[in-house]
Amino acid sequence: MSQAVKIWTMLLLILLLALVFLLIGSGLDFDYLIPKRFMRLVTIVLGSVCLAVSSIVFQTIVGNRILSPSIMGYEAVYLLWQALLLLVMGTNGLMMLGVSGNFIVSIMLMLVYSWALHRLLLPRCKSDVFMLLLFGLVLTMVIGTVTQFIQLRISPGEFSVFQGLSYTSFNRSNPETVWYGVLAVATVLWVSRKTLPVLDVMALGREQSMSLGINHAKYVKLYLALIAILVAVSTSLIGPTAFMGVFIANIAYALAGSSKHKVTLPIGCAVSIAIFLIAQIFVEHVFNYKTSVSILVNLVCGIYFLALTVRTRGIT
Amino acid sequence: MITVSNLHKSYGKKSVLSDVSLAFPTGRVTSLIGPNGAGKSTLLMMMARLLEPSSGYVSLDGRKISEMRTSEYAHHVATLRQSPGFNLRLTVEELISFGRFPYSRGSLTIEDRRVIDEAINFLALESLRHDYLDELSGGQRQMAFLAMTIAQQTDVLLLDEPLNNLDMKHAVQIMQALRRLCDEQGRTVILVIHDINFAANYSDYIVALKNGALSFSGTSAQVVTATNLSELYDLDFEIIRNERGCLCNYFNLSGVRG
Repeated sequence: MSQAVKIWTMLLLILLLALVFLLIGSGLDFDYLIPKRFMRLVTIVLGSVCLAVSSIVFQTIVGNRILSPSIMGYEAVYLLWQALLLLVMGTNGLMMLGVSGNFIVSIMLMLVYSWALHRLLLPRCKSDVFMLLLFGLVLTMVIGTVTQFIQLRISPGEFSVFQGLSYTSFNRSNPETVWYGVLAVATVLWVSRKTLPVLDVMALGREQSMSLGINHAKYVKLYLALIAILVAVSTSLIGPTAFMGVFIANIAYALAGSSKHKVTLPIGCAVSIAIFLIAQIFVEHVFNYKTSVSILVNLVCGIYFLALTVRTRGIT
Repeated sequence: MITVSNLHKSYGKKSVLSDVSLAFPTGRVTSLIGPNGAGKSTLLMMMARLLEPSSGYVSLDGRKISEMRTSEYAHHVATLRQSPGFNLRLTVEELISFGRFPYSRGSLTIEDRRVIDEAINFLALESLRHDYLDELSGGQRQMAFLAMTIAQQTDVLLLDEPLNNLDMKHAVQIMQALRRLCDEQGRTVILVIHDINFAANYSDYIVALKNGALSFSGTSAQVVTATNLSELYDLDFEIIRNERGCLCNYFNLSGVRG
């Protein structure tokens, strides 16, 4: 199957899923139910695109397939920030800052974290992926523990607000956040649209890409900044995603059959949208909200990922 | 011409290269030889701009390379290090087309395609053209990476141990290709190499480093002598020359010295 055929097939599949998602059991209620669902659909698409693009680009610039921004602690930092906000200012804090305020501050925070990773961590474990992985996991754990410690200090009301933030879900988004998200993602995609060939070359590693005339340090900075924005959007829209980014990226590589980013990125987005749509349809109509999207996705993707590892030996 | 002047590199207090000054002749194959840790790769990496010298400078045709842009430098000097080991799902042709990146930034022109075809023909890779890199043998993959470097159409090629892990046949193929690049196309080839026999038989010039300093340099015919090599490697050598080349024998002589 040629790449174009693959991408069109997936697009068709997604359209079909989207229609099912919008219309199933709706009684064609165009006044309330369908607009509500449409909002969720936009959230899913946006969150999925952010997750897939950030994971694949991150894996390319660090040169391996078992890391993702969430493993490197981006999401933990976001949660820590939300918990701190609740501790210091209470639920009023979230109100005061407003949706846009929180969103912009989150992006700033992610950018700062990205910069810190770039300055402090990446130079120290240049070629040692496992060191990086270990650092990432430990960082995530430490930040997570600090967050838990803060949770003990906040009131039960605030705690329930925090709980809502710390699970993957498509129900919490409000229109304002979504439109900011659309704006941010559109900007990121616009900035990076011309640089896909650069990413392809960067997959050859730092030295080979410098030999081919790429200002490697500059592009790493640029991509880490773009990743920070995407992660901020996806985390504020759909919550932490843990290992889903790794699953989605690797499923995309397996399906794409090419390392070219003009193939892997669209397929990654399509895979991610399809998985989340299917999971959400199941959660809403089969399990009746008794389970969550993250449990379903982790279950299905986890099994697929294991099968993949066993079959192709060596994901790294 | 690439020249290095008073080049010095140290990590913390440990100095790996001290006060090396050299001029690499244009249009010739030059081999950098020496024991492990002599600073050969360090020198090559600094010439490739992949490593910053602690002091001293490298210049290309009289211009300091630190003052050139990365994208401009890629038009003059191509570097090949050991090919990355991770699974790149790319065809040989796709890899070779990366060699054109310095010129076309990813959208290939007709001229680019012509150069890619040329590089493929030069190394006789036509039969592998549409094969995926992760399905090739180490030798074939190294040929593909070399073809990418050739397609970059630079005057100077820097190669870091291009024969690493290759069998004799592929090693000979690579060395013959480098020889032809130099003889037929007038390119300057500088490589780090461990096999003294390949160095002695295929290169015009030899530069020997030991403990971060220049040990000797000159044309292969001049400097490949038992005394020089024994001094360099701390091994006894016997040099056997005939009309088909020279053989440096260091097996089972009186053994390791000192």
